[in-house]
Amino acid sequence: MLRIENLGKAFGSKGQFVLEGFDLTVARGEFVTLIGPSGCGKTTALRIAAGLLEANTGQVFVDDKPSMGPSRDKAIVFQHFNLFPWRSALENVAYGLEIQGMGRNQRREIAVDHLRLVGLDTHLGHYPWQMSGGQQQRVGIARALAISPKLLLMDEPFGALDALTRERLQGELQRICLERNLTVLFVTHSIDEAIYLSDRIVVMGVRPGRIIAEFRIDLPKPRADYNFRAREEYGAVRGEIWALLEKQLQRAEAIAS
Amino acid sequence: MSKLQAEPAGRLEPFSPLGVVRRALRSREGLMVLSILVVLAAWEAYGRSHPLFTSYPTEILAAAPRIFLPSLVPALGSTLTGYSVGLLLAIPAAIAIGVAMGRNRLVDLILGPYVNALYVTPRIALIPLLVLWFGLDFRLRVAIVFLSAVFPIIVNTYAGMKEVDQALLDVGRVFTANRSQRLRTIVLPGSLPYIFTGLRLGVARALGGVIVAEMTASISGIGRLLGNYGRFFKVGELFVTIITIGILGLVLTMGLAFIQRRFAPWTAAARAR
Repeated sequence: MLRIENLGKAFGSKGQFVLEGFDLTVARGEFVTLIGPSGCGKTTALRIAAGLLEANTGQVFVDDKPSMGPSRDKAIVFQHFNLFPWRSALENVAYGLEIQGMGRNQRREIAVDHLRLVGLDTHLGHYPWQMSGGQQQRVGIARALAISPKLLLMDEPFGALDALTRERLQGELQRICLERNLTVLFVTHSIDEAIYLSDRIVVMGVRPGRIIAEFRIDLPKPRADYNFRAREEYGAVRGEIWALLEKQLQRAEAIAS
Repeated sequence: MSKLQAEPAGRLEPFSPLGVVRRALRSREGLMVLSILVVLAAWEAYGRSHPLFTSYPTEILAAAPRIFLPSLVPALGSTLTGYSVGLLLAIPAAIAIGVAMGRNRLVDLILGPYVNALYVTPRIALIPLLVLWFGLDFRLRVAIVFLSAVFPIIVNTYAGMKEVDQALLDVGRVFTANRSQRLRTIVLPGSLPYIFTGLRLGVARALGGVIVAEMTASISGIGRLLGNYGRFFKVGELFVTIITIGILGLVLTMGLAFIQRRFAPWTAAARAR
């Protein structure tokens, strides 16, 4: 479904590579998470996949077709929601369809459906400033899904939310992913969030940003239905990922000092 | 205060001026009314003893009906006609120029120096030239209003175009909005708070501009009225005219604020935070 080959990206005149030799495939219906310390290039990789950044080397393919720019196949959910303050929840969700030239009634209908999907069909006329952070991000998710993308990209979507809201939205996201068989590339700093949501976790290292390990998570879904954290596999994977990340954090600190 | 609050509610107090004052001091509105009354009374007393250079409330009240129909209304009529026509020309032109400069580097480079120079040029400096070009009537008013309003609106519209949130532009790009779609759905609404700031400045400057032009060039209108009353020591009439201008300014500002709340409610909410 999504295939990324040999991606490389350098910023600034010094040309320090923040991302080098990055290869990744995400199968249809798969939930893959990129995790790593700050500066490992996970958000850079996601932004290149979304077409918001140009890569110095490498290629992005969606269904085997090159996809280096933004396209209707891809949608993104941002960390800071990025809703349009001058649009109501409904108008925000309808945005992508409006840009595609869909008629008013039809896009309204689809937008209402997606606000219902995220449990906000009672807030159609609310503006972003009238909603909590959790509600705003629900709108952000509905806006991304409304264009029926083949690939959903999520850049630390729950990073700006409080812990309880975060857990609730993780559960909602998993439910929606299973209902719609979504293909997701997700970026996070949280090991627990990664294990809860993912089929596969890709651990990234720093200097240069690259992939250092992959973990397949075979815990049954939906994981909200049982105490998945009590399972033996959970503790084992968590320990391994933490050990890897700790080493990368020490590396990053050593280079910085 | 604490002793007064402790008194049982609803008990009839014997009337005393001091009691009325004390009760008034307890509410915001009471305090405001009291403040106004005290100032008016002091003004009245002082004004009656210096009748040549100051006026006093009762005289102003008497002057108002005397000049309202014969002088004030016609003067306001000619000032406001020129003012509205000038603004109606200036606002769309200024927004269009500001948008064009914000969008296009070439336009920015070509017009930028003139806009920035004229933005800071005092309009009074232009009046003699405008009199030569446009004479002493309606067209002079339109010109001065146009020149007063157009630059603050251009400069602020331009700033708004430059300050649009990059994160929101990214949203437009991922949803495959092209340049003109991004302009319509993101850049223009994102610039509205700035455009409204420009409008507030422009509307106020234009009012000042037209009055100063009328006064210095001594054409008809409210500015000329001010000049005449001043020359003939008609201080009461002068005050009526000044208060009228003040009310006019207030109405314009409140009207703009109303339009902003109605059509750009998020900008008001953003300010409140």
